[in-house]
Amino acid sequence: MGLAQNVVFGLVTGSYIAIAAIGFTLIYGIVNMINFAYGEYLTIGAFVGVLSAGMLPLPLPVAALVAMAGGGIASLVLARAFFTPINDTGPVPMLLTSIGLGLALRNLIRLTGGRSARYFDTETTTYQFDGLPALAVGPVDLLGDLFVTSEQLVVVGSAVAVFVVLHAMLTRTDVGIAMRAMGDDESLARVRGIDTQFIRDSVWVLAGVLAGLAGVLIGIQTNVSSSTGFSHILQILAAAILGGAGSPYGAIAGAYVIGLVLALSTAFLPAGMTGISTAVAFFILVVVLLVKPSGIAGQEVREA
Amino acid sequence: MSVADRLPGSIGDRLPDGSGDTALVFGGALALLAALFLLTPISATLPGALYVFLEVAILFAIYGVLVLGLDLQYGHTGLVNFGHVVFFAAGGYTVAMLSAEDPFAGIGLGFPWPLALVAGIVVAGLLGAVVGATSLRLRDDFLAIATLATAEIFHSLFVNFRGVFGGNTGILGVPQPIKDLAGNTDTTLLATLLLFGGVCAIVFAVVTRLTDSPYGRVLRAIRADELVTRSVGKSTFTYKMQSFVYGAALAGLAGGLFALYNGAVAPGYFTIQVTVTVWIGMLLGGASNHRAVLAGLAVIMGLRLASRFALGVAPVSADAFASIRLIFVGLVLVAVIRYRPAGIWGDAKELGVDT
Repeated sequence: MGLAQNVVFGLVTGSYIAIAAIGFTLIYGIVNMINFAYGEYLTIGAFVGVLSAGMLPLPLPVAALVAMAGGGIASLVLARAFFTPINDTGPVPMLLTSIGLGLALRNLIRLTGGRSARYFDTETTTYQFDGLPALAVGPVDLLGDLFVTSEQLVVVGSAVAVFVVLHAMLTRTDVGIAMRAMGDDESLARVRGIDTQFIRDSVWVLAGVLAGLAGVLIGIQTNVSSSTGFSHILQILAAAILGGAGSPYGAIAGAYVIGLVLALSTAFLPAGMTGISTAVAFFILVVVLLVKPSGIAGQEVREA
Repeated sequence: MSVADRLPGSIGDRLPDGSGDTALVFGGALALLAALFLLTPISATLPGALYVFLEVAILFAIYGVLVLGLDLQYGHTGLVNFGHVVFFAAGGYTVAMLSAEDPFAGIGLGFPWPLALVAGIVVAGLLGAVVGATSLRLRDDFLAIATLATAEIFHSLFVNFRGVFGGNTGILGVPQPIKDLAGNTDTTLLATLLLFGGVCAIVFAVVTRLTDSPYGRVLRAIRADELVTRSVGKSTFTYKMQSFVYGAALAGLAGGLFALYNGAVAPGYFTIQVTVTVWIGMLLGGASNHRAVLAGLAVIMGLRLASRFALGVAPVSADAFASIRLIFVGLVLVAVIRYRPAGIWGDAKELGVDT
């Protein structure tokens, strides 16, 4: 398998990590908390998607919209029930609460959804690109034929669509501009007459919607199980911190770096070691924290 | 005025005068009792119904060492270590890899267990130093994430590096010195409980000594206001590092004891649930108070005991029951933070939280 094929995998992984990491980083930037339960929001979205696609049954794009709505509603309800009441207690109680909530949600989903994996019914078309100019580094011929599936195109296309819509929202709409203002300085935003509680709720909904979409995209790439979100939370976290926690554009960049490193690392890791991809994501995280703790495009996270 | 104060100084100094010294005497007595069962032909006979109590009590003693170390880090120094299980695992795996003979999978070098136990403590402490060096300058919640991620990563390493850590099977064939000395199951359980209870009490005495001293006041000053503490000339990073390493080494001790009691280590024993359990125990009891954190842990372990009996009568599968128990545990953590942020026996003013 050529290096270019790994780059395709990296771009696909980076795409769904990016969608999730934007939601995660918006919560960090505006509600000022690390939401460790966020991975479970992906799982909720993926389950809503796979159930509505499989049982109702709905066409896949409609199921994805239902999943996004489900993720948004779940996110808002959970925030109102668990996070809003302790908003003033600081980041550590919020984080610990999200860890407890994540444990409860994960097991609730396992209890109700079962342990077995579920699949989206997708019709895969494989596009083959050959006759591309061969990339060669030194004596190694790295590019053979390149394969891309229709699911992979859907994932990357969805991500690009999200980036465009998000950028338009953050720069053109009142809610988006208010979100950026709150991310910069909450008390100043309040003085200027921004309804901070409404903006917070909007962020929760938006983050949930993005998590729902990311969950569905992961689902059509692989499968849906109760551990879908938890197995991706460290990658999302690494992407958000790498990009500079709180910065949506940084999160996109961070996600593609993580995705490419994960995909390319499989080319160099011995067979049977692919299970340590989270270790690779974490390694990147540690290096970033050591070298540039504020991330690629972020605010200061160091206290000392 | 206690009896000790009225005695002539030379004698009074040698008598216990604080909860730490009482614990030291208590711990020594427990260890001696354990030795009585282990080194003499005396043996115990227990009703079978007591086994489950003893097993949970032994786990309580092991987790007690964990929670005392964690409280040194969080309750006294304010370090949010949410990956405590990784140091527990480091101790357990080090002891297993060094001492196991014929480990089935993974490494087993067959060294004597006392050497392995010391190595387990050292390795856990060293890992604490490495994690601390990379993470202790981070803001609280980022420290929590860095430590939590460390634990998850090591978990995936344990599972994936089958040749070294034995994969999901773990490492079997770890020596069980207490079992070998005691001879029968009943005596083993009782002696293990006495000995581990003794170790836990001695650890209690040591950390009490540490935190009652001026050293402990510096730690609490760092928790209260790091900037002010630094401005009076204390190297706060050094203190934080020491506190972190001591806590990690204690977790390594707990992990080593667990391996030697259990006779095997596996990734399933070292999951995030261990971290969550000791955190809930600490927060429920009241962080920064040694007795309170142990009491909080006792409440949580009591629930675990109750759930063992509930499993027997509950009309659900063991798998579903495990999920239900974890849902409950997660919600208890959420509820404690929301409704009892200072814990049941904690001092809200001391911790600077609103109740």
